[in-house]
Amino acid sequence: MASSKPILEVKNLKKWFPVRSGFFSFFGEQRYVKAVDDVSFEVPEGGSICIVGESGCGKTTLARTILRLVEPTGGEVYFEGENIYDKTRGELAELRLQMQLIFQNPFEVLDPRLTIETLVGEGLHIHNLEEDPQVVRERVFKALEAVRLVPARNFASRYTHELSGGQLQRVAIARSLIFEPKLVIADEPVSMLDASIRTEVMNLMTDLQKDFGHTYIFITHDLAQARYIGDFCIVMYLGRIAEMGPMETVILDPIHPYTKALVSNIPVPDPTEQRDRIFLEGETPTPIDLPEGCRFKPRCQAYSDTYCKPEEPNLIEVSPGHWVACYAP
Amino acid sequence: MAILEVENLKTHYYIGDKPVYAVDDVSFTIDRNETLGLAGESGCGKTTTAYSILRILPANGKIVEGSVKLDGEDLVTKSMEEMRKIRWKKASIVFQYAMNAFNPVLRIGRQIVEVIQEKEGGSEQAAALTVAGLFEEVGLEPSRIDDYPHEFSGGMLQRAIIAQALSCDPRLIIADEPVTALDVIVQNKILDLLRKLQAKYNLAVLFITHDLSVVAENCTQVGIMYAGNLMELGSATSVFKESLHPYTYKLIGAFPSVTGPKRRLEFIPGTPPNLMKPPPGCTFHPRCPYAQDICSKELPKFEEISNGHYARCHFAGQLEFGGEE
Repeated sequence: MASSKPILEVKNLKKWFPVRSGFFSFFGEQRYVKAVDDVSFEVPEGGSICIVGESGCGKTTLARTILRLVEPTGGEVYFEGENIYDKTRGELAELRLQMQLIFQNPFEVLDPRLTIETLVGEGLHIHNLEEDPQVVRERVFKALEAVRLVPARNFASRYTHELSGGQLQRVAIARSLIFEPKLVIADEPVSMLDASIRTEVMNLMTDLQKDFGHTYIFITHDLAQARYIGDFCIVMYLGRIAEMGPMETVILDPIHPYTKALVSNIPVPDPTEQRDRIFLEGETPTPIDLPEGCRFKPRCQAYSDTYCKPEEPNLIEVSPGHWVACYAP
Repeated sequence: MAILEVENLKTHYYIGDKPVYAVDDVSFTIDRNETLGLAGESGCGKTTTAYSILRILPANGKIVEGSVKLDGEDLVTKSMEEMRKIRWKKASIVFQYAMNAFNPVLRIGRQIVEVIQEKEGGSEQAAALTVAGLFEEVGLEPSRIDDYPHEFSGGMLQRAIIAQALSCDPRLIIADEPVTALDVIVQNKILDLLRKLQAKYNLAVLFITHDLSVVAENCTQVGIMYAGNLMELGSATSVFKESLHPYTYKLIGAFPSVTGPKRRLEFIPGTPPNLMKPPPGCTFHPRCPYAQDICSKELPKFEEISNGHYARCHFAGQLEFGGEE
């Protein structure tokens, strides 16, 4: 489905947050939380990629840095061939219409004092895209119909408390789609929703892509969910990409020891299935004092002195489109 | 004999004088060394069921009918003073948000010592020794007994809570979404720990979660709740493999898996009902693809369909669900 031309190119992106560590930081070196540390990947136009990882792996910071909601420490992001960090504020505002963000919790995003019509349509006013109230209303109705809130007229006049969680998330999606963006970044879009409704929203998002032709970046902690929503998977560990490749390959045939452990720990809705768990030592450390070399080394079960080099491993293409940052064979 | 027997439990909340039918006619039992997974979506009444058992409902919640027997003793008729003696000692609860369960300005060890002294008496030193032992048992360094909650990670806090829940040697542990806020790798370590402790102390565990995958892997018995009703109850294998209730079947189909071929995920059109005005008849009928006339008129009985496998559906056992797997 995806053509080969990348709509988004992320090159050596870094986002380090300085840590204040009390009086003695005066003498010592400045320390950083390396939330995103040298991340590069491409997103093909019309594709839908998932960025997965545990809490604190930097997936949300990555999304925020791509949208330039926070300034990067280093690196470039090209959207349709143009570096977004070279843009002025005005140009950026325009560009952001093409790059929309959907958040996890629609209850926090949508103002409870506004009607659904205002919520979906306000962006058009804010960006001075449309003045005519009649046209705005038509576009709002069209957006609501697109996310299957029909009849749109009935939903438009309601307030958020009159809608269920699933319906609200669809309002949030309509709010983004009204601009007909080229790229939609969705940060845990269905994690708040109950299982019986989750699939409905996931299917809707997939169908919308067919109608509107936009590109998706999904951010999720749930690999099982990712499998059903994306076609390309990026697994992050402590700010870096551990492995990336076609979704089914990464999930069914992972190569990086971290991905292997992650996949093996995901519960499966089948009591008769016996699975071998890979237990990792300890918990995910914070990305402040990273170990020398491979950052997964302290917890890695495949670590060996013979092939693991002291430098940080780079991503190597092991099969077409499947990249792994690991020395182990 | 079962450790916990819940029979026809009905718990309602009152908004003004209007009842919210949060738990409506729920019955199940849990034996020693058995884990019952109570699963369902938000608002289905699973947490209210747990709170009813320990009688820790909010002020506007009331048990209107039914009995809860712990070791044969009915808890519903007990006074609050008597309940105080039962909580922690006979039945304890592990809450979902470990980070909120401890007082942030008191040392963790101190807070567990407090529970032990309150319930068992004895000296502070003796209690502190018990806590050190418990810490070891749940995989925490005994030396960290004097740490404050903010010095622990999420997984460690969850371990500390489990230590606290075990501190007075209970017979029953209620685990309310014990791992929901944790990452999968830590989640499995905690679940593993719970299983080991359960086997060691012969505990009965009531495991409450919205995640059917976690239930499938951790529970011997499974109960599926919807809109205050227990819809299906049975062994994990029978509930997952030979579902009797359309809701169970559909809900299982909604859960993605990382193994096997990619199948089509199901969803259930519509939303759960408003529990102030539950629909007449079966509460699931407005969303049920198999609903007939009778479903909107008569509330189906909760009946044993095959050995130890119960369901609340007029057509339980007669429906053919696609027949995959």
